[in-house]
Parts: sequence; C-alpha cells; structure tokens
Amino acid sequence: MDRRVGRDAGIRLARAAVLGLAMLAAAPAAFADDAIEWLTRAAAAARQLNYLGTVIYQHGGYVETSRLIHLNDLGEEFEKLVNLEGPAREVIRSHGEVRCYYPDAKIVRIEPRTFRNAFPSLSPQQQKALAEFYEFRKAETARVAGLDTQAWVFEPKDGMRYGHKFWADPATGLLLKARLIDERNEVVEQFAFTEVAIGANITREMVKPTWALAPPDWRIRQPGQGEVDMKETGWTVARVPPGFFKIVEGVRRLRGTREVAHLVYSDGLVAVSVFVEPVGGAPHPIGLSSQGGINVYIRQLDENLVTVLGEAPAVTIRQIANSVTRR
Amino acid sequence: MGEQISRLMDGELEGAEAEAAFRELKQAEGVATWVCYHVIGDALRGAGGPAAGFSERFAARFEAEPTVLAPRPLHGPRLPFVWAAAATVAAVAVVGWVAVSTLDSRPTALAKAREAAAVRVAQARSAPVSPDYLLAHQEYSPTTQIQGVGPYLRAVSAGGADGRP
Repeated sequence: MDRRVGRDAGIRLARAAVLGLAMLAAAPAAFADDAIEWLTRAAAAARQLNYLGTVIYQHGGYVETSRLIHLNDLGEEFEKLVNLEGPAREVIRSHGEVRCYYPDAKIVRIEPRTFRNAFPSLSPQQQKALAEFYEFRKAETARVAGLDTQAWVFEPKDGMRYGHKFWADPATGLLLKARLIDERNEVVEQFAFTEVAIGANITREMVKPTWALAPPDWRIRQPGQGEVDMKETGWTVARVPPGFFKIVEGVRRLRGTREVAHLVYSDGLVAVSVFVEPVGGAPHPIGLSSQGGINVYIRQLDENLVTVLGEAPAVTIRQIANSVTRR
Repeated sequence: MGEQISRLMDGELEGAEAEAAFRELKQAEGVATWVCYHVIGDALRGAGGPAAGFSERFAARFEAEPTVLAPRPLHGPRLPFVWAAAATVAAVAVVGWVAVSTLDSRPTALAKAREAAAVRVAQARSAPVSPDYLLAHQEYSPTTQIQGVGPYLRAVSAGGADGRP
C-alpha cells in the first residue's frame, strides 16, 4: 500500500516535471505540423490504397487472426474484415456504412459512418491538444509483415492518455502495425499485419459480404433515423481531462426506440464517448471493465445509466464518468 | 459506506468527506471493505495477492521498527499540501496496522474478498456494455481513420464485448 502510494506520487511528480519542461521548451507548432502531416499521410494511404492481408489482434492474453481486404474503387471505399477463429464475425464497410454480421446469432448490426473527423480536418483545438499533450517522434526501423517499416511514437506527456506506436510502410505511408502502451510501458493492445499485399488487384466481388445485405430471417439492429441528431442533450462533463475537447453532442436512437444522449470528447488522437440512457430506477451492474484497448466505466446517476468508454486509461474514463452532470 | 471507501481509494475525496471515510476505516467493517476492494483491484489488474505469511512477517518487522517522533511545527503558514500528505500517511499507517491485525484475527476476510473478487472478475469479463455503444463509438475515434475497420474488432471479436451480438 505504502509503496503504491509512493510510486504513484512519484509518477505524478515526474509527469508534472515533464509537462513543465515541455511547456518551457515551447515550439509545439512544429510538433503539430509533423504529427498531423504524418497522420494525414497514413489516413490517405488507408483510404486510397488497395491492399489485403492477415491481421493479428492482441490484448491481454487474447490473440485473434483476421483477414482484411480494402478496395478503393474510383474514390469509393469498400472494406471487408473476417475473423478466422472462434465464432464467425464479419465487418463490411461500404456505401458510407459499417455492417457487422454475427451468423451464429443471425444478427446484423448496421452503423452509419457519416462522421468525418479525418486528419487533416481536425479542429484547431484538437491540433493544439496533439502538440501539447503528446511528443511525436521518429523511432526505429523494423520489419513488419516482411516489409521494412519506420516506427513512430506519440508519447503522452501526462497520465491521462496512452502512448501510441505506429509502424508504417515508408513507400506508401500505410500503417502495418499499431500499439497502445500504458504508463508502465506495457502493451495494452496491438493490431499488426503478418502478411500484406499493398497495391493488390482487388475486385468488388472480394469485398462483398458473405451473406445478403440483410438476410431475410436475420434480425437487423440499427439506430433509428441513421444519424445522431445533433443537439444539446442537457448533459455535460464538469471535469474534462486536460487536452480533451467535445467534438460531438447529440441524441441517437438505439434500435429505433431508446433515446440515448451521446457526447464525444477527443484529444486529437483518441476519443472518449459518453452515453446517458434513461433506465428507470432498476439497479444495473456498474463498474470498470475493458474491451481490448477500450476502457469502459458504467455508473448509475439517478434514473440514468452513464456509460463512458474510449481508448484511454481507466483514470481518464473514470474522471469523465464521475463528473457527468446535468447542464 | 462502500462507495465512499471506493472513492477514497481513487483519490476523489477531500476535506470533510475524506475525514469521514478515515473514520469509517477505523471500524472493522470499513477495514474489511477496504481490504476487499484492494483484493478485487489486484485481481482485476491481474496482480497476485500477498505471499503466504506476509502479514506475520510485516507485523514482526513493523514491531521491530524504531518509532520516529516528528516534531510538530508550531509556527508558520498552513501548507494544505503538506497537511494532506501527512493526513494520508497517517491514514495509511493506521489502516496498515488495523488491516494487518484484522487479517491475522480473521483469516476468512481475505478468503471472502478473494471470492468476491472472482465474482467481480467474472462479471467484468461479461461486462454488460452494449455492443451498440462500442460500435457507435468507433466511428468517432480519430485513429480509426488510419487503421480502417481493424479497430471494429474491439466491438465484434469474441474476445471483446464478450462476443455478444
């Protein structure tokens, strides 16, 4: 106990010192330009190139292998992700929406993909947060999926966000490996190609879902009118961690009936979602859990269930969850 | 009571609220809750419990430690930070001592806490997070822009969202 308290205090002091130095060092604009330039190139590569390969997804002791195919057909994107182990799951991106197929349960979830917060169109606030709260630097060269890649690191300057390490193909800018790293330098989550063919010849047939768009005897789950109805929700986060800014606020209808407030906060690199759903007085399971790199904190606030989740450390998720309040 | 102790552990309590929580920790029930939450926390983080005989060894070494009597400052301005730190150290010392003696006299407390932790871990694995939420979130994450649909695995994989459709 003593040791933990001592260590945490030490870490906090060190973080404060690092932050102070970073602020003295100034010149954050140069960092931001570099970082945003790099992110823009990676985003463009992911969007514009044709590629297919095998992706390993790891978190904790869990490992899963999937097949990923991406096609850019005259500016329109098609993407297919199929897991190769366990119960079959298929994610299809086409025509501005994402469909997730769960054949064992005969369910297809449809999520519109209309929001565009792509690099380089980050808000000035997000760009500033990127520069202020991460140190962006070039790391080593390393082989990934048989290719020589260049590694890049976004190192957090405080304890409110994870570190990110990305390995990219220098020729095209395509990301081949991505890692989330916690404050103890442990890997929280990793996505990596084990083999990839960039610029492969890909047809529309290859990115089609295995099943019909909406198989007749399957249940279809999709949000009501498709999009988040942008408006004030009456909810706010009183103590937003430094560097996070609200990028979205609105009401979405889940399964066409339940109205859920959805607010999104971002620091330029990651996002944290806040959902507030009226559930009545019935007690719900609450507490902290994680889904790979995503931490989730659920708490009850009067007759509402507050769910906060995002690819940020538990402390960040909790702080946001605990300070959700009526406006 | 449990909630206050939980918040204290997270460093969310200050002033009078913290004082009240410290008072709770002087009661056997409060200590049991404190110990229980820490075992749960350790289990959730995947850290093992203390090695066998830890309490005995700790108590023996604690007994052998010389008592340090720090003089109390009579003058000078009140430094909130120092006071807070001192209060924390004092609380830790008190709790440490009470926890050790409680554990020694009630070995079942730890077993119960472990049992509770096992239940919590099981619940955490099948955390009731709606996959709707996980999917709705994914679109807004800036990194999705450079990773394509790969991160959707978080929401759909059998190892995430407990594979519930």
